[in-house]
Amino acid sequence: MLERLVIALVLLLFPATLPAHGPTPQRADETLAIPATPDTVWKLVSSFGGIGQWHKLVTKVAATGGDAAGAERVLTLEKGEITEGLDEVDAGAKRISYRLLKENADALPVSFYTATIEVKPAGSGSEVAWSARFYRADTSNFPPDNLNDEAAIAAMTDFIKQGLEGLKAKAGGS
Amino acid sequence: MRARLRGLLAALALIAGPAAAGEAPPFIAVVSQQAGILSLVDAEVGRVVDEIRLPRVPAAVAATPDGRRLFVTHPDLGLVTPVDVAARRAGESFTVGKEPFGIAVIDGGRALLVSDWSADALIRIDAATGRQTGRAAIGRSPAGLVVDGRSGRAYVADRESNQVSVVDIATMQRVAIIPTGRAPFALALSPDGRELYVANVQSNDLSIVDTEAMKEVARIRIGLMPYGVAVTADGARIAVTSQQSGKLALLDRATRKIVVEMKVGEYPEGAVIAGDRLIVANWADDSLCIVELLQPTPSCSRRVPVATGPRMMAVIAPARD
Repeated sequence: MLERLVIALVLLLFPATLPAHGPTPQRADETLAIPATPDTVWKLVSSFGGIGQWHKLVTKVAATGGDAAGAERVLTLEKGEITEGLDEVDAGAKRISYRLLKENADALPVSFYTATIEVKPAGSGSEVAWSARFYRADTSNFPPDNLNDEAAIAAMTDFIKQGLEGLKAKAGGS
Repeated sequence: MRARLRGLLAALALIAGPAAAGEAPPFIAVVSQQAGILSLVDAEVGRVVDEIRLPRVPAAVAATPDGRRLFVTHPDLGLVTPVDVAARRAGESFTVGKEPFGIAVIDGGRALLVSDWSADALIRIDAATGRQTGRAAIGRSPAGLVVDGRSGRAYVADRESNQVSVVDIATMQRVAIIPTGRAPFALALSPDGRELYVANVQSNDLSIVDTEAMKEVARIRIGLMPYGVAVTADGARIAVTSQQSGKLALLDRATRKIVVEMKVGEYPEGAVIAGDRLIVANWADDSLCIVELLQPTPSCSRRVPVATGPRMMAVIAPARD
């Protein structure tokens, strides 16, 4: 009993003790048309610390480093915190790339992800493409159901979909 | 199927001559991880010649020198599958270690080296039986590996240890540890064996290792998530894919500078060079990009759709009778 408690505590304190990343990557890609102009949407997307204003799964954000490559943000989700780092900002292409720096399988059952968000003009509005490449949280060969590939794909797809919907709601009509 | 098989054999016979004279053959084996498919691609005409169904989640692939057999790792299953190229058939898989990942063919095709991702080991196995014949303890989460036949050494990227392990194949002893950038994954060796190129996934750069001095002599900034690396037959150019940037960089060996940078697709990973052609697998596009390296401005002159999730590739040399 004590042994189990200790193991649970160690896993809780050091989620990185799960294997850092396994050999089978997964992906999630979603796009959404938003009636606002690309400039309006890009202003929201490119504010790295501003995600809490439009993503309803993100309850709090602590960001450092502004909106340039190297910036970091700690996202508070319903079940814990994850840390992301901004890799690249291409204002011309209206595209940002970021990655997971500190995983937390309780908060989001994925590991080692990278993602890009790109805002493109579409008609009088925008189209936002959000894609991620990631690994399941437990990268050993026998992951439990809540940490397997299906769980990772479902969680990441939901995170992206809800993000896009939130972006649309925040950006408004035009 | 039989007609296509005859076609491939005829094509292989045709290229056997030039290949023997030093020109590279155009057949490429591509592993599509999500689909569980190995595609054989004619890079010259830019099309899939055949597809071979494999057990689930295949990862890395290596070809025997005569091009008759391929060996594919399945990390999630703990298996290695042999493939008969002419018969277009996967043979019976054998169990290797815990999570076999990187793979290389040694001893003219009689033996294999496999990196075991979760056992932190390099394992030597008999290619006919799958029996383990040697084992070396190396760093954490070993991924890509390359072999230098002349020195009898294997270089393995210990991804989570941020280093390359150098293993003497005859004794299966680690003889050196070379620190690199963060999360080294893919490796390539210059044709003269003197330089090793290491793609570092997390530090976004390429380590250049002097294999005589056994140390890193340069670290070149590439792009986001470098995941594949290949060297031209003359050793003059090094190609590096960066997944998150969707780009390919061509470096000049002498100046260590990027001379060409181009967009190749979504999440490019594996890169191989066959003669004057560079082939890149775009993991998220389910396609290959074929680049003619001799063009003044190299670009993806052809795209070949392949099965879902292409990652790593091997060049198949023609079988000689």
